[in-house]
Amino acid sequence: MDGGHWPAVLVVTPLVGAALCPIIGRRFPNFAGYWALGVFTAVSVAAGAVTYAVSTNGPFSYHMGGWPPPFGIELRFDEFSASVAVIALIGWLAILYSLSYAKHAVPEERLPYYYALLLLCLGGMAGFAVTGDIFNMFVFLEILSLSSYALVAIAGERIAELASFKYLVMGAVSSLTILFAIGFLYALTGTLNMGDLSVRLAGVETFPAAVAVAALTLGFSVKAALFPLHIWLPDAHATAPSPVSAILSGLVVKVGVLGMLRMYQMLYDSQVFDLKMLNDTLMWLGAISIVMGALFAMVQEDIKMMLAYSTISNIGYIFMGLGLASTFGIIGGAVHVFNHAIIKATLFLGAGALIYQTGYRDLKDLRGIGKAMPVTSACIAIGAVSIVGIPPTAGFLCKWYIALGAIEAGRIFFAVTLLFGALLIFVYYIRMLNAFYFTPPLHAHLMDVGEVPLTMLVPIVVLAILCLVMGVFGRIPLSFIEPAVIDMLAPLGG
Amino acid sequence: MRVLWTNIDYAASVVLFLIGLYAVIAKGNLIKKLMGLNIMETAVFAFVMATGIVTGGDAPILGKGAEPPFANPLPQALILTGIVVALSTTALALSLIMRIYERHGTIESDDLWGVE
Repeated sequence: MDGGHWPAVLVVTPLVGAALCPIIGRRFPNFAGYWALGVFTAVSVAAGAVTYAVSTNGPFSYHMGGWPPPFGIELRFDEFSASVAVIALIGWLAILYSLSYAKHAVPEERLPYYYALLLLCLGGMAGFAVTGDIFNMFVFLEILSLSSYALVAIAGERIAELASFKYLVMGAVSSLTILFAIGFLYALTGTLNMGDLSVRLAGVETFPAAVAVAALTLGFSVKAALFPLHIWLPDAHATAPSPVSAILSGLVVKVGVLGMLRMYQMLYDSQVFDLKMLNDTLMWLGAISIVMGALFAMVQEDIKMMLAYSTISNIGYIFMGLGLASTFGIIGGAVHVFNHAIIKATLFLGAGALIYQTGYRDLKDLRGIGKAMPVTSACIAIGAVSIVGIPPTAGFLCKWYIALGAIEAGRIFFAVTLLFGALLIFVYYIRMLNAFYFTPPLHAHLMDVGEVPLTMLVPIVVLAILCLVMGVFGRIPLSFIEPAVIDMLAPLGG
Repeated sequence: MRVLWTNIDYAASVVLFLIGLYAVIAKGNLIKKLMGLNIMETAVFAFVMATGIVTGGDAPILGKGAEPPFANPLPQALILTGIVVALSTTALALSLIMRIYERHGTIESDDLWGVE
């Protein structure tokens, strides 16, 4: 099976569905959410089909409209593109969760636009993951970025517009550096197709290529919120409605990582210059991100703020894995993209459920909630344990692989930093669990709130179970991604 | 120096880019920040357009009297897309600024520190 026309379905459906969403919402106001869910179900089927095709037959490419690359637009599927499966899973659950949550959090007249923006954001991500053309990559990046800026502001919480504006300015500057780099690469090589680029990059002068790589790295690190370019993230992720936070934190920041992986594929392939300096920088920034994110998270009272800072730590892990440039490190980093998405979505959706039922978001107000909302709290606890990386949960294997990668690369210091970071992360998640389970409630009426509606509870439980399952069956994603990484590092001589 | 002079168009767009970046970072007024962003956008567009110029080239439109050399049409197509993106970014940013003004009564970032 070569994937048939599913790739086109995957990219085109969410965009068309998003365009129709406000029209349908205008005629049938309550139907917009179900429409979005339906459209995204089709997208998920397509994502499943292409992922299956990759897993059975290996990488393949699809030529839009039948024009062969490098002239036509190529969609390229390899093991990294299989991240569409995660996008589909989390996106679908977040839309299901929104059916109840958004009614409560988003002003009614904005609901159809909310779903339209969600579809645009998820569709942009799917397109970004599968495109084989750097200019298309930029276009999809902008589709998903612009819809994320709007999604942050849509609920209209107190500082939502400010957070969104800050996100927009940093995001737009990073997009421009990426466009600048794309222009540079085009001027150097005369092509926009990634496969073609990696061939032609081999012959170009080193200095201009280095400028382009630096600009791309800068742009993608802002998108991924690598320290010290993270300042837009905490406010944006904490003020957005919870399903949006789950998507932003779980998926949208990973776009930067995926962009870096694509860039590395081209660079390792072409061997245009030695990447040691870039790798070292990323490794150090990753290490600093782990520690700084954890330290900031420790002093937060707001539960969503805490989760947002924890994202910065985890991005640090991923970048450290990439920078190590050893097989284990990159496999660990790439799989952490996947596992962190599941874990962080569990935590954000869980936190959203607590806020939905109680109206409080500070830890001290949420004391004792473990007795009132046992299922949600248990799911959050599972998420917390996995993100710290205690076996046998999802977070453990990737961190273990990154640590192995550090040892393999002869960088014991980074392995130590990784363990130290995990301890710091443990500290603030313990603080959260302590508030939930072991302290008397501050507000007595909290004991009367029940669990959230089923459409919200089911996504949380499914994700929490996945956190455990991915720990036990963690070999599956690891061995799935392995050929892509080995292929990528092959020009280095193993 | 000669290298700089022969590539004056590229150098100019880099300078313009930095001017825009300066405005985004240093100016306190949100509208001025947005204007800085627009200057950066223009700089990138000018840079990419300049890469497509062919000395003595015509506009790449087929028709009566069209004869080579032509300028490279691909950067122009790319930048057309880029302009659409820039337009939507600006529109979104302006509407956010409007909301911020309605809610907080100011668009100076120094005064907005307090509300965060």
